[in-house]
Amino acid sequence: MRMRLALAARCARGHRMGSNYPRSVRRCLPACVLGVEVVLVLIFAFFTSYDPSPKDQKMVLGAYQVLQDFTIAAALGLGFLTSYWRRHSWSSVAFNLFMLALGVQWAVLLDGFLSQPFPRKVTINLSSIRLATMSAMSVLISAGTILGRANLVQLSVMVLVEVTAFGAMRLTYKQVFNLDDHRSMMHIHVFAAYFGLAVAWCHSSPLPQQKEVQEENVPVSRSTSMFAMLGTLFLWMCWPSFNSALLDIANEKKNAVFNTYYALAVSTVTATSVSALIHHQGKINMIDIHNAVLAGGVAVGASCHLISSPWIAMVLGLLAGLISVGGVRCLPVCFNRVLGIQDQSGVHYTFGLPGLLGGFTYMVLIMLQASGKPRAGYVMLIDAGALSFALAMGLGSGFLTGFLLKLRIWRAPPVVKHFDDQAFWEFPHLAAGF
Amino acid sequence: MRVTFPLMAIGLEVAMIVLFWLFVQYEADQTISQQLNTTRPTKMDSFVQLYPLFQDVHVMIFVGFGFLMTFLKKYGFSSVGINLLIAALGLQWGTLVLGLLHARGEKFHIGIKEMISADFSTATVLISFGAVLGKTSPIQMLIMTILEIAVFAANEFLVAEIFVASDTGASMTIHAFGAYFGLAVAGVLYRSGLREGHHNEESVYHSDIFAMIGTLFLWIFWPSFNSAIAEPGDHQYRAIVNTYFSLAACVLTAYAVSSLVTYRGKLEMVHIQNATLAGGVAVGTCADMDIQPYIAMIIGSIAGLVSVLGYKCLTPFCATTLRIHDTCGVHNLHGLPGVVGGLASIVAIAVGVSTIAMQAAALGSSIGTALVGGLVTGQQK
Repeated sequence: MRMRLALAARCARGHRMGSNYPRSVRRCLPACVLGVEVVLVLIFAFFTSYDPSPKDQKMVLGAYQVLQDFTIAAALGLGFLTSYWRRHSWSSVAFNLFMLALGVQWAVLLDGFLSQPFPRKVTINLSSIRLATMSAMSVLISAGTILGRANLVQLSVMVLVEVTAFGAMRLTYKQVFNLDDHRSMMHIHVFAAYFGLAVAWCHSSPLPQQKEVQEENVPVSRSTSMFAMLGTLFLWMCWPSFNSALLDIANEKKNAVFNTYYALAVSTVTATSVSALIHHQGKINMIDIHNAVLAGGVAVGASCHLISSPWIAMVLGLLAGLISVGGVRCLPVCFNRVLGIQDQSGVHYTFGLPGLLGGFTYMVLIMLQASGKPRAGYVMLIDAGALSFALAMGLGSGFLTGFLLKLRIWRAPPVVKHFDDQAFWEFPHLAAGF
Repeated sequence: MRVTFPLMAIGLEVAMIVLFWLFVQYEADQTISQQLNTTRPTKMDSFVQLYPLFQDVHVMIFVGFGFLMTFLKKYGFSSVGINLLIAALGLQWGTLVLGLLHARGEKFHIGIKEMISADFSTATVLISFGAVLGKTSPIQMLIMTILEIAVFAANEFLVAEIFVASDTGASMTIHAFGAYFGLAVAGVLYRSGLREGHHNEESVYHSDIFAMIGTLFLWIFWPSFNSAIAEPGDHQYRAIVNTYFSLAACVLTAYAVSSLVTYRGKLEMVHIQNATLAGGVAVGTCADMDIQPYIAMIIGSIAGLVSVLGYKCLTPFCATTLRIHDTCGVHNLHGLPGVVGGLASIVAIAVGVSTIAMQAAALGSSIGTALVGGLVTGQQK
């Protein structure tokens, strides 16, 4: 009943201020998306070909299994992870699929062009699709900060810019810092999280009415929280594949799987118990679980092949869990409010902070391995440079994208329609009561 | 229901057990015990390598199709539950019928390929189930499972052994067949009293998210579906890559067209749930051919376009004028894209090989047998 009244009040308010009605994207969206698709088909037609090398069934299916895990993590995991807003679940899941499909197509081309001289055709094999899925995941991670406040046109612009920026960053890593695929890919969390935060910072619009709207739409309801748990679980299960996919040496791959597995387990236990500990009645908060259980996997990502015994990974998982739960409690109050960032889905403490922790851990481990050797300082410097480059690249391109998305030509939804599926979806049934 | 359904289900199950006892044997792999060091790929190798693909197809059948149909607000239990029942019965019956046909009535062996084919044969029934969703009882569904799989096996035999047409991802033999069979049944079962629609035939917010789970599972595993029975090596690789890019292109087109045909450029959930998958259906037949990725993307885009337009225009037209009420819109998700796939394969083959006629015959026979079989099945009720 109260909800109906609130809805009626909102409708009345919307009536008075006609501009609150979301602007039609009927011309803008189909034109943009179909245009992009036509361009992609043309580029594919002229610049791609199949992989001509002879293939063995075992190799094909092995590569395909890993790709499959990635697609599950990206489409199901990240899609449902952000679906916990009460009135924004449809958009979270469906826009995620859209961004994945667009991001993969663009990333396959971009990776191909950047990794070889231009006139040659890009060969498409399963591992290039796998890399492209990873690049697209950077968009899906950072979209968490802006979902609910952007329409599909803005999100497609963001996909194109961010995949390009990420490709440029990986190229720089390869050529300047001399990092391999695994190392450069594991900066994805830091890059994506700070990219997202920068975009969110540009989009924060602290209008007086926004608070009221968000109180109505943003809260997490029980059933949508279950859907978010579905996403969390699928991400949790596929994380060992994610961390180990780009390692070539069998021993490193094995270590990566083990370490990720244990770090995830420890961060789950830590997150659950700490969440109960800091609640004044000892109850467990579902939001902590959604975000913090993944922190271990993020933190161990960069160094998972170096860690030789499980206890180090477990300590890392413990720290990541603590940082992440602490982030859930402190960041919205201290950090986000001061800077005016709205990070509702907690990208900062799920991916950003654990990613930084992982970067520091990697430096420490390399230092310990190289201590006594002459080039220890240099190696350390390179790693610190790589980490801060990811941070700077994320923030820089994020600000750029943020300002680009603020342009009025994208027809962004008005503030009262933020976190509201009705702005984007045709409801055949009555919109009240969902 | 209390007496008929259990009696019938148990009776069918007993019949299955007896038939399995008479006809089905395990595959015996002599080479494993004798020559462990051999480099020649054994049947066991192929079993272990194909098992993950079988698992993916299994997820699609049970989770994907099951949850895709949970969008009705009061029919979620039945969608998932009857889906499970049909698939469990269908895979036993499918194993038997396909095996008996290919072995010409002799005893036959089952291996991983037979298991995958059996899962495929249940997919036809699940697709047809989508057309009659909410309008049939479990007993009717049991009858439909038995009849439809028998007709499917006959058509598949015709296509694969007599026409020798290529249909790796089974756009024609499964998707088009299942859709038109379901439409024929739905046409027979039409009740003019429900011309204005039924008040239960709508979705609520959460039922649509559940349906989205089904969509995502189907979307993720569709490359496995199209590549599961492809020849190992190059064919399988091409089937995976083509399906993947076809699906990706289809997603973009489906969103764009959905926004184009809806008021104020909004999106419609039913389009997103279904039309994003049309690319996988359409590329099925030519998935393993040496078309380039961009052709796959074009096929996917056309399928997405056709599918959304089908939902927008054809479904209301069918319901009012043709008197066929198609609950899930399987015609738009499986029927039309299946036909697109068949046509695409004809065009793809037109370049060099001389089996166009056979490919066309395969498409025609799939739709023809489906319609006849569906009409007959509908009359039985």
